[in-house]
Amino acid sequence: MESLLQQLARFSEVLAVSRTPHVSTWDPATVRRALQWARYLRHVHRRFGRHARIRTALERRLQSQWRQDSGSGPAPDPGLTNFQALGRCDLVLALRLLQNRALREAVWHALLQQVFPGPGVPGADEETLQGRLAHLARRRAAVHVLRLHGYQESPVVQEDALLKTQAEGPGGLLSGLWERGPQDNFLKVLAAALLLPPPSPRPQEEETGPGTPNTPGEGHHELLRWLLGKADILAAFCRRLPAGVVAAVAGRHPELSRVYLGLLADWGRHLHYDLQRGVWVGAESQAVPWEELYGRFQSLCQAPPPLKDEVRTALESWKAQDGDFEVPGLSIWTDLLLALGTGT
Amino acid sequence: MGLALKDLLRAHCLPQRLAGHCGGASPFPFPEMAQDSVGLSSDYQFWMQKVSTWDQASTVETQQDTCLHLPRFQEFLRQMYEALKEMDSNTVIERFPTIGQLLAKTCRNPFILAYDESQKILIWCLCCLINKEPQNSGDSKLNSWTRGLLCHVLSAFRFDIREVGLFTQGLGYAPADYYPGLLKNMVLSLVSELRENHLNGFNTQRRMTPERVRALSRVCVPLITLPDFEPLVEALLTCHGCEPQEVLWPEFFDAVSEAFLLKKISLPTSAVVCLWLRHLPSLEKAMLHLFEKLISSERNFLRIERFVRDSSLPEAACHPAIFRIVDETFRYALLETDGAPEILATIQVFTRCFLEALEKENKQLKFALRTYFPYASPSLVTALLQHPKDIPQGLWHQSLQHISEMLREIVEDQTHGSYGGPSDCWFAFIHFGGWADVAAEQLLRSEADPPEAVLWLLAFSYSPRDGSQQRAQTMEEVKAVLGRLLKLLRSPGFSARDVQAAAGQSREEAPRPLECGPLIRRLLLNFLLWAPGAHAIAQEVITLMAPTREITHEITGFLDQTLYRWDHLCTTAPASRKLASELLTELRGQV
Repeated sequence: MESLLQQLARFSEVLAVSRTPHVSTWDPATVRRALQWARYLRHVHRRFGRHARIRTALERRLQSQWRQDSGSGPAPDPGLTNFQALGRCDLVLALRLLQNRALREAVWHALLQQVFPGPGVPGADEETLQGRLAHLARRRAAVHVLRLHGYQESPVVQEDALLKTQAEGPGGLLSGLWERGPQDNFLKVLAAALLLPPPSPRPQEEETGPGTPNTPGEGHHELLRWLLGKADILAAFCRRLPAGVVAAVAGRHPELSRVYLGLLADWGRHLHYDLQRGVWVGAESQAVPWEELYGRFQSLCQAPPPLKDEVRTALESWKAQDGDFEVPGLSIWTDLLLALGTGT
Repeated sequence: MGLALKDLLRAHCLPQRLAGHCGGASPFPFPEMAQDSVGLSSDYQFWMQKVSTWDQASTVETQQDTCLHLPRFQEFLRQMYEALKEMDSNTVIERFPTIGQLLAKTCRNPFILAYDESQKILIWCLCCLINKEPQNSGDSKLNSWTRGLLCHVLSAFRFDIREVGLFTQGLGYAPADYYPGLLKNMVLSLVSELRENHLNGFNTQRRMTPERVRALSRVCVPLITLPDFEPLVEALLTCHGCEPQEVLWPEFFDAVSEAFLLKKISLPTSAVVCLWLRHLPSLEKAMLHLFEKLISSERNFLRIERFVRDSSLPEAACHPAIFRIVDETFRYALLETDGAPEILATIQVFTRCFLEALEKENKQLKFALRTYFPYASPSLVTALLQHPKDIPQGLWHQSLQHISEMLREIVEDQTHGSYGGPSDCWFAFIHFGGWADVAAEQLLRSEADPPEAVLWLLAFSYSPRDGSQQRAQTMEEVKAVLGRLLKLLRSPGFSARDVQAAAGQSREEAPRPLECGPLIRRLLLNFLLWAPGAHAIAQEVITLMAPTREITHEITGFLDQTLYRWDHLCTTAPASRKLASELLTELRGQV
């Protein structure tokens, strides 16, 4: 695994270099090796596509790499940004090298021969590099033909193909922002967006449907849906933002409150009671400490109903599941309820 | 189409003059351009002029003309590449001094680049221009120019929107990811616009005007074989607006039909039905394509079934209009070939596949049988529709009787009633060939006197146009032969000569090949398959029966059909089956 990650890092360097004048020092053997490397990584992509653990590890490394790179310089290098990109890394490398004028003529000829060997090479078009390059060129021409002669830009933002494609991105517009960081600011802005005042109800003067333009209310929906779909960002949202902020957002959006409660329950269950010190402690260092847990529940219980009541009910039911003890030290939910008091 | 079909059938001399299959190349070779260099040079001039006229294909006329010539131009590019790759860069420039111009203009035409493999072949041609050992600055300049053009082909047609470019870069979105995604979204957007058109007619705000739909069908022509475009092709075919005239560009239909027949695009049945209903030549081409395949391969029921199923015709024929056209084409082919067994076999296979498809159809609107077979009475069709395998074997004679009586009534009724005459009801009858085969078999397998109805049915199926006297004579002849064959069965042993005699040749004459009509041959063959003592002499009898290739061909056809039929009826008759297989293999080896 480690060797794979190293290879990934080194290939990313090669990919970055392939756009620079540095390639003037390359010879045909270097080019051949680089292409072989790319082919190998493409094979990795195919092989481990379904292997969640390895895929995640690779993706994480790629994204942290990219965050580093994007720190320097105004235009970051969109080389390998995620796991999907590995599937096309040979295409990207070939295109960059072919377009790099710094490559020596003889080397460029060798490259051309390798990339376009001509007909008679075994393998379907979807497999060979030349087939895929031709396919990409064909699709570009198709886009051009459609754009000039058939397709009309849509006034509806979320349906316009150009904007939609940019929004879909590798992981999406928002995910991209998250990856580039700074993350705390991102989370705060997200919370702020979710707390924007709701729109006044629109008069139903025209038929609603896919043709109606976007309203802020609908934007909330999209934003929330996106957030709920991203488990790690959601966890960070609930953990890193202050208790009061999360409580406010949860109060506004019931779906979020459900997830939040679920997370809190999970965090709570990871604590155990230290008999000697008489406190609840966590096993790992990342565990949410008692004080924080208490603080979060306190904010929630201070929220307006129905959230307040929901939280209470949840706490009661967890306490009951644990055995409905009244004595402290046996169930964290008992202790929390005791600490929170009967509530106002 | 009749003319094309007639030529096709005549070219293969289906009626009785050719046995076996035509090996080798198809009779209609693709119109290839001259391979020699003189031909290439003149083609070059032609295409040079064309490409200059087309330029970037920005007007309707240039687009139309480009799309019309795309397949031939690609073929030309291929031939150019084959010629260029044998030369080095200097020779290329000597031979074709303006080739740079030609290739450059080609690169500017997005319709050419969007078609099939043209962009790939173009790149290969450009690679041939590269001078591996540049001697002077001129060579280097040419290389540099070629390099630029190559890069243009590979990364042409950037969205020249600066913010978009920077934005996507910032998100780590490489063109290799971006363009496929963009294409997908554009296609999706167009498809939903078309569907809205279809569902809401005049009432949508974003209705696509007919001109726009037409323009869209025009620009799609080069792109039909691109898998991303399948949803759009499907939508264009199935979504009608409210116009009474056809809105789509005719060449669009031609291109889709061609791509579909060559299996370069896969379409759902609903889209194929729309294609064939909206554009009759496509259906005609599909049928011609089927006939071509059938003719150029050995007659073999399994193969026929595969071709028929492959063609999507059975499913599409659930729509009565399509069924009628297909049926009439079959009838025409039968007439032209005087009832060739290959056509008969195809009709039978097609009908069976069609009935299967009809049963699977879940539509609320089911058409009456009358719509499919308007030339036959519903009661006749219903009787014929019953498959022997759905009826217990003991009751087969009843069905045969019933069918025979109905047919006889129609044939002998001088007033012809409300339905067609003898030829129509014969045509209906042969759709369901199983019954004629069952009749022949039953006659040989039962010891009783042959029922007249069954004799009549057999005589009718082989010679529908006979007058009643002729038919009566045939029936007598068959009866006599049957009687003699059954006597042989009861005797302790018999030889090939005995069988020959039973078929109607006198013993005293010197042994010579057996001459008898196809009906008697059928009876003899059934006898050989079913009579317990006949297996030993079967080969000999067949040798006597089959002096010509035609008859051998007929016999192999019969054996193949019988095995196929037994498989479908789940007939268990291991000895007969074994014999039939052996005979078939033997005969096929001889041809």
